Amino acid sequence: MRRLLQPHVELAVSLAAVVVLPIVLPSIAMATEVVIFIIATLGCNLLIGYVGLMSFGQAIFFGVGAYACSLTLLHSHVGIGAGLLAAIAASAIVALFVGFLSTQKRGIYFVMLTFAFSQMFYFIAYAMAGLTGGDNGLLDIPRPPLVLFHVTLLSLTPPLEMYGLAAVVFVALFVFLQRVITSPFGSTLQAIRENEQRAIAVGYNTRNFKVIAFVLSGVVTGIAGALYALFLQFAPLGNIDVSMSERIIVMSILGGTGSLFGSVLGGTFYVVAGNMLSAIWPRWLLLLGLILMVVGCYLQGGLLGAAERLARRIGRRGPRAMTPAASNKPVGRP
Amino acid sequence: MSLYLIQLINGLGIGMIYFMISVGLSIIFGTMNFVNFAHGAFYLLGAYLCYAVVAATGSFWLALAVAPPAMALTGWFAERYLLSRLYHAPHQYQILVTLGLALVIQEGVMLVWGAIGQNVATPVLLQGVVVFGSFVYPKYRLFVIGFTALLTFVLWLALERTRYGAILRAGTESTEMVALLGIDIFRMFSFTFALGAYLAGLAGGLTAPISGADPFMGPGALSVAFVVVVIGGIGSFSGALAGGLLIGVVQSEMSSLWSEGANIMIYVAMALVILVRPRGLLGRA
Amino acid sequence: MTLSRRSFVKTAIGGAALAATGPAILRPAFAADVTKIRSLYALSGTFAEAGKTAELGARIAAPQFAKEYGIKVDYKAVDSEGNPGRAVAKILTEIQQNQVKYFVGGVLSSSALAMSEQVHKANGVFITAAGADEITGQNCNRSTFRWSVPTYGASRETVLPLIEKYPNAKRWYTITPKYVFGEALLQNSIDVFKEKGVEHVGNSYHSLSETEFSSYLTNASAAKPDVLLLLNFGSQSTNTLRQAANFGMKQKMKILMVWAEGLEQYEEIGADIMDGVYVGCQYDVSIKSPGNKKIIETFKAKGAPVPSYSSVSGYVSTDLILRGIKAAGSSDPAAVIKALEGLKYEGPTGQEEIRAFDHQCVKNYYLLKGKPKAQMKNKYDLVEIISSGKSFVPQNQSLCKMA
Repeated sequence: MRRLLQPHVELAVSLAAVVVLPIVLPSIAMATEVVIFIIATLGCNLLIGYVGLMSFGQAIFFGVGAYACSLTLLHSHVGIGAGLLAAIAASAIVALFVGFLSTQKRGIYFVMLTFAFSQMFYFIAYAMAGLTGGDNGLLDIPRPPLVLFHVTLLSLTPPLEMYGLAAVVFVALFVFLQRVITSPFGSTLQAIRENEQRAIAVGYNTRNFKVIAFVLSGVVTGIAGALYALFLQFAPLGNIDVSMSERIIVMSILGGTGSLFGSVLGGTFYVVAGNMLSAIWPRWLLLLGLILMVVGCYLQGGLLGAAERLARRIGRRGPRAMTPAASNKPVGRP
Repeated sequence: MSLYLIQLINGLGIGMIYFMISVGLSIIFGTMNFVNFAHGAFYLLGAYLCYAVVAATGSFWLALAVAPPAMALTGWFAERYLLSRLYHAPHQYQILVTLGLALVIQEGVMLVWGAIGQNVATPVLLQGVVVFGSFVYPKYRLFVIGFTALLTFVLWLALERTRYGAILRAGTESTEMVALLGIDIFRMFSFTFALGAYLAGLAGGLTAPISGADPFMGPGALSVAFVVVVIGGIGSFSGALAGGLLIGVVQSEMSSLWSEGANIMIYVAMALVILVRPRGLLGRA
Repeated sequence: MTLSRRSFVKTAIGGAALAATGPAILRPAFAADVTKIRSLYALSGTFAEAGKTAELGARIAAPQFAKEYGIKVDYKAVDSEGNPGRAVAKILTEIQQNQVKYFVGGVLSSSALAMSEQVHKANGVFITAAGADEITGQNCNRSTFRWSVPTYGASRETVLPLIEKYPNAKRWYTITPKYVFGEALLQNSIDVFKEKGVEHVGNSYHSLSETEFSSYLTNASAAKPDVLLLLNFGSQSTNTLRQAANFGMKQKMKILMVWAEGLEQYEEIGADIMDGVYVGCQYDVSIKSPGNKKIIETFKAKGAPVPSYSSVSGYVSTDLILRGIKAAGSSDPAAVIKALEGLKYEGPTGQEEIRAFDHQCVKNYYLLKGKPKAQMKNKYDLVEIISSGKSFVPQNQSLCKMA
């Protein structure tokens, strides 16, 4: 099966999206939100799409990233880079802990374990109100300018510069993750997803691979959390709530877990549709629920899968032989 | 009577309610290897159906007779036309679809009954309290404990002594084996799912006079059910009972010491059980 | 590189905005003197009921006072989704997309605090009726005004009159949600206990996700209090009260819920349980004042439900913005803020005044009591006013240090 978009085309389309989003969306704030959630979705996609692990723990890393970045900037006069590094370090440590334990289990036990950790970290953040601000969250988070070698690259005061920061981070992470999944490491992950027993038989320590993927995913999500805190200048407790995990998972599957580009579609669709629908109808979550049911039953490749099927149909004009589930499988597996 | 003893008894009462909320999830989980994220929403809809019947007829008993079977029907339909497509799909799609179903139910409830919670009056017969020395307990909660105990016994009989129960228990061990015996596994799944929804609806109806019916009660109930099912042992009937009672007692006893700590402890326990003893306290090996 | 791209995108955005707003751009003279007001209430998510009702009040007030004061108003409701993060993102969108300067809203402390900061950064005006004391306390700012009485007044105006009414009720037990708002109510109540020499026989903390209160009530019962003081809020206080009634505690002690949500909550609790229970609230429809009379008539004329605290808070918040614009004779936020500081007006609770130094509105807080079913004139007639009064932290003790 051929891929709709080759990796370099995907990158080009993502770059184009980054330029177009702030123009076509009603506000730069909405575009910033979209890009931040695309990053969070990329992290989730790495686990679901390439390792076959569905984690309810993404909110932990989103929240920890936000708290770490915020606390660093609130309590010291370091630059924004230090805040992001703190987020990376903190989410990596927490993801290593959660991932090391969670990857001992498979399937539904893995899901339940990440769910338990998610709730645990939520209540810890809630109980440690002195550090996290509890239910009020952390307020008035500073957003110092982005300075490199005494040169101010971005003042980050105008909305567009905050967007620029998020967009640059997104593109960098997109390229990085593309490299990861096309590397031998990425191929091994996909081999594990397809048939873990076989991967073990070939001699891989699959546990280690899964833990590394989990940490990568946690760091990417943690960066998204840090950017969200910088964007809002506020770190609410809701960041670390299990409903945040659900939202990120929904974006991932909605977009399609077959390729990284699915995350771009899923994050954009969810944030934009959520903003527009909630402005029209307070019961808009009902529509979201229906969409989830339709995607889960009929469109398992998500938006990306739908686009690929459409493209194939136009391209071949032949009968469709592919089942929905099959279109979900990425190519290039060993 | 010492406060700890009183809290122990109260905790057992809470635990029985937790068991009611969880047992349906556990049966579905164990038999069908299917995580139903809509279980909390079934519980929610059960409470609202109960409220609607009480509001229309004034009879709580009629509501208790009508609402849970209506939920069983809802569950049967959901399984037949929605979830049955997903048995061979990766579990993320099962989770996605049941999450969607939960959202549809929650928002649908708000469309029909509004976003504010509703009060369900305690039936006249069970209003008031009973007093044992310094221990005061609402009659209605005693009734819930008694009713749940009776239901537990009936369920146990049904699972242990009937043909369906035998099939179901065998299904928890190995669905393939049951299928090889020539049993229509899909009919069994439909029935199991309806039973789970029935129990969730019954739990919603029974707790309505205690906590009312509130459109956002689903996710909280689902979390409790996950904890209870995992700690007790997935698919284990007696495990769900033990897990429910344990969580109820821990929460009750911790209430005077460190109530937020109770929540952290409960999820630490849940994680530990999965890691160290995945079959749970009373699950079969 | 950043510079050139930025200027490019800016031009492009100008074009997009032109396309999006369409007619408004074509008539810039008209657009300039239309005042944009946005309400941010939770229309979906938890607290959707309070949000929906508050938004209704704002929606009634906007056209009415626009006409009355001769101001052109563009009012829109924005759904905060009951989620502080989403609320802030949407405020940013309104500020950037529509250059909105005037906001009302915020029911939950966490949302209101974060919104207040964003509006302040944009040099706008934000009027809220949220519970968090920080809004006109340590986190106060020039842009933010608060209509609702802080926890200090809520505690004093309910606990004090009840102590005076029942001098023999010497033992008080409290149930408190573990977060800033709950702690503030608790501390203020304890101060009153000390002042009046009543005994605080115990307190139970619970988390914000709790729905089962029997174990806290068991602890309370064991302490044998004369008064059970509920310091929680929303569906949690509804459930605590409901379960306390089931445990027969209404017969054994007085119950006081300090911070009630008003009519919708009384209805949710139901007349049977409300009977004889004391509640504190910011507003009640039975208040006898010219301002309230006008509100009741307006709501009736619009075919709206009986006014409640939620709807009146949205109504008054919107009124205050327009009053400020009228008094300032300008829609410049700085001038409006000046005009609102020290403003005295006829509000729903009688004479109300906005203090200049902390932007707190000085108004009555009410102690009410649930009526027996037999005395209810209609299904909304659930409570009667027992007492009312104004208690506010004086300037020298205030934590508000406005720059």
